[in-house]
Amino acid sequence: MKPRDLSPWLTVALAVTTLQAAETTPAAFKDIPFPVIERFENFGKAEGIPTEKVHAVYKTTDGRLWLGTWNGLCVRREDGRFHRYGPEDGLSHKMVLQIVEDPQTGDLWIATMRGLTRLSGGRFTVYTQTNSGLPNNVVYGVDVREGRVWVATAAGAGSFNPKTGEWKIYDHNNTVMHEPWCYAIKATPDKVFIGVWGGGIIEHDPRRGTFKEYRDPDRDFHYDLVPDDGPINDITSWLSWEDGVLWQCTYFGFARYEGRGWKTWVEEKTPLLSNFTQFVWPHRRVAWIGMDRGVSVTDGETWVNYEVGPKGEGLRTLYRPGQPPEVQTMPTALANCFVLGIYVDDEEAWFATSNGLSRGVFAPYPRPATVARARP
Amino acid sequence: MKTRGFVLISLAGLVAAGGLSSGGYFWSVGHVRRWTGNPTLGFVSCTHCHGNDLSKTAWARPRPHHPAPAGLAVSPDGRRLYVALDDVDEVVEADAESLAILRRTAVAGGPFGLALDRSGRRLFVACRHQDRVAQLDLETFREVDSLFVGVEPVALAFTETPEGERLIVANSGSGDAAVLSLSPLKEVARPGTGREPFGVAVSPDGRHAWVMSRLAEPDLARGGASAHPAEAGFAHLFLPAAAELTHLSPAGGRVLRRVPLESAHLSEDLAFVPARGWVLAPLVKVRNLVPITQVANGWVMSSGLAVADLQGHVTQVPLDEANDYFADPAGLAVDAAGRRAYVASGGSDVITVVDLDRLAAWLEQADDATRREAIRDLSLSTEYVVARIPTGRNPRHLALSPDGRRLYVSVRLEDQVWAVDTERLTVVGKLVLGDGGDSDPIRRGERVFTKAAHTFQRQFSCRSCHPDGHVDGLAYDFDGDGIGDNLLDNRTLRGIDRTPPFKWNGKNPSLQVQCGPRFARVLMRTDPIPPAELEDLVRFLNSLPPARPRHFTELNKPLSPAAERGRQLFFATHRPDGTPIPIERQCQTCHRPPLFTNRLKTAVGTRGPRDLTDEFDTPHLLGVAASAPYLHDGRARTLEELWTTYQTNDLHGVSSYWSKHQLNDLIEYLKTL
Repeated sequence: MKPRDLSPWLTVALAVTTLQAAETTPAAFKDIPFPVIERFENFGKAEGIPTEKVHAVYKTTDGRLWLGTWNGLCVRREDGRFHRYGPEDGLSHKMVLQIVEDPQTGDLWIATMRGLTRLSGGRFTVYTQTNSGLPNNVVYGVDVREGRVWVATAAGAGSFNPKTGEWKIYDHNNTVMHEPWCYAIKATPDKVFIGVWGGGIIEHDPRRGTFKEYRDPDRDFHYDLVPDDGPINDITSWLSWEDGVLWQCTYFGFARYEGRGWKTWVEEKTPLLSNFTQFVWPHRRVAWIGMDRGVSVTDGETWVNYEVGPKGEGLRTLYRPGQPPEVQTMPTALANCFVLGIYVDDEEAWFATSNGLSRGVFAPYPRPATVARARP
Repeated sequence: MKTRGFVLISLAGLVAAGGLSSGGYFWSVGHVRRWTGNPTLGFVSCTHCHGNDLSKTAWARPRPHHPAPAGLAVSPDGRRLYVALDDVDEVVEADAESLAILRRTAVAGGPFGLALDRSGRRLFVACRHQDRVAQLDLETFREVDSLFVGVEPVALAFTETPEGERLIVANSGSGDAAVLSLSPLKEVARPGTGREPFGVAVSPDGRHAWVMSRLAEPDLARGGASAHPAEAGFAHLFLPAAAELTHLSPAGGRVLRRVPLESAHLSEDLAFVPARGWVLAPLVKVRNLVPITQVANGWVMSSGLAVADLQGHVTQVPLDEANDYFADPAGLAVDAAGRRAYVASGGSDVITVVDLDRLAAWLEQADDATRREAIRDLSLSTEYVVARIPTGRNPRHLALSPDGRRLYVSVRLEDQVWAVDTERLTVVGKLVLGDGGDSDPIRRGERVFTKAAHTFQRQFSCRSCHPDGHVDGLAYDFDGDGIGDNLLDNRTLRGIDRTPPFKWNGKNPSLQVQCGPRFARVLMRTDPIPPAELEDLVRFLNSLPPARPRHFTELNKPLSPAAERGRQLFFATHRPDGTPIPIERQCQTCHRPPLFTNRLKTAVGTRGPRDLTDEFDTPHLLGVAASAPYLHDGRARTLEELWTTYQTNDLHGVSSYWSKHQLNDLIEYLKTL
């Protein structure tokens, strides 16, 4: 057969292959509108992570993976092992709680238990409450937007403008904040949301200098007496925002705010795996929620929970709207059920746990995952 | 009778006058002691606190302006030369061959740095005093676009990246680099750099940009945990400082690498050598941690060249000779083939010609240890320095013609641009922009200030420690009490008119004494500056306005709410609960406006373990935010640390009642002074 005679067959073969590629999502997950993890790969001290407790995981725009641990900052090298940076390298404290990247400059801003650290071009710069205007050395959360750095500290929230060197403090003295113990902060294009431990959520408009408080209307610590009436609890343990949706973690349930109304979830009445929600990473309007019993993933309608079974096995439970839950056993489990930090993109998911790091390998799905984004 | 009466009246008058004088004297002494809390203070002039007016200071008065050349740029076809004249707010276009001036255009704001686009149709100007970049259309020679950037932009470079055209601007005052896109000018990113970035270089492929800082800062990472800023103490004072070479991606402004240059500072230019993959920066190797009086041993400072590769490996090599120094290296130019580099020595009036082939050969054969020690071996320069070309006073900026056959030198303090034939290494022409200002004592004083010939073997000039009359951010070791003791922070010379005495111990009543014979013998190890030149130098120093820490667009505007709250704190006479603050502990007493000093020595509890006294001269606060570090030994690296890490039990202002909000407010106010 002459080579040119092959072309129709090649075309057909290519078309079949393409069709197969598009249809590679396992049938079991076809109606799940976000990627499903098929297995976990776990990493720990054997890979150079200096301690079992990993607080934060973050992938920078250059593709490098960074960890905030109980004992230093780590970066994953090309050989897969982790390199540690500690106070001896210039880090402000060994206990790293959060990492974010300034997408413009590539600078990493690192929240630690004693100050804020900038890692830029391999050089550490430390900001403390004594050498700068940082409100407090215990920095739980940090975020960067348009070059401005926002921090949540044990004595209020703060902002730092590197262009002018100006620091501002936001606490109970100059805002509606009930108390200054801030656990999380998220800067959006026009608002800044501050998660206050015991004070709900503060919405700050930097242009107008205004503050608005979101508190649990029923003011009950243990029960969400009236669902969907506001933040589920005043104990905000974490919050995040993406694409117009605000997500709130508390130790008494989970909540979402889309600007029109609130939606709340508790473990007793919804698929939420645990009321003790520690961290949320939103990605394409899907919340990846870290908690003491594993991970819940939801777009608000469909849920997938990942747990560690009694024998250490990985359990995956699918909750489709109007259908009974479907429990599946996974080939591998999360490194630990207590998930402290999460990073998710279209390619993979990473979980910082109290006993190592896990990578969630997605089952094949059509990328980019635009389904979830299209949902209201 | 009349005579007797007259005598009696006179005597009575004398007694009364004496009584009044004595009373006045004792009252004034008591008044001063009451206000300062210092019971040993004698009579001081009322002008320490009263009758001062900033408008009467020398730096506030009009002064002659000179067409001193700053940045240079040569058109891609080599036919036109552009010269920035920052002191007269002009940019000049000249014929590069004949050096005849063709056109002039006014560019407000101190045009200092220049960069041309690749086609040679647009000229970009860093306007230092107005914190902006101006774009000139070279057809009309008119300004067509402008953008405010950071504080005091001094240098800029143009490049084409896959994402579009970019300008990289070094903002010396705000310590950052503005990455601008063009058409129209727009800021893409503002990454931080080292302190006082002054040099910019880009790679022709648009993939790399570098910014070089002029000042060095303690390299804390090298000091380890003991030098951590959160720990109170002095350990960081004994860490070698390092300037920073910041490696950027010009497309988006991403910081790729920060390369420390140990014990290097005063770099004012930068060049990329594509043929070798090198980044070159002139530098001053400063040795502030060994006794600065050891000039004869060559311990104080020497000039060199940093050679960095794309991976950030740096070798520092000397430009000086064993018994002859070439102080204050400023401008740098490298030919397109990467064969030769030219370095302007602003203090010694010389262009040093470096054969890069020979330098490369030496680097090739040197092992790591030899490279590390290279900067200390002044005999090494004979390996690669092939010529020294004498120039007029204070050569600063350099530019080469595209074919590398002509080197243009801005001979700043003679108001001239010189053209050098690089084949014959001779001067072949001069562009005369002004008369040199010989009749202006301030200009003459600046020549003294920048002249290394007043120090032993021409090792350094006044400017080597006081770039632009300001600080270099270092504390120097004076060996009065042993090596490593008695570190003294380098104080600014800007805004010092009417603020005597000088020195941290307040012992020099005038600048003439401060810069006089003792200074020459102890520090410069030469004959004193001749009296006439000394007077000129003093005129120059007094003409220096305070540093400007604020953005140009913020000047003359009302204080921000935070700064206003800080102002009220600065002038507070009572605590919020009504408790009076003792007069001698109020900020305004010692730092009394408008000079923000009462020009007296004061004990504010800052005596360190190596100090011999409790009392130190009260520095003025004009431009204080730009003059870190602080206190007499430079122990406080930020203003915050004055009242946190190094707070002195309410002796240095009553601060114990301040909240963190108030401290931040106070600092916002101090930034406005």
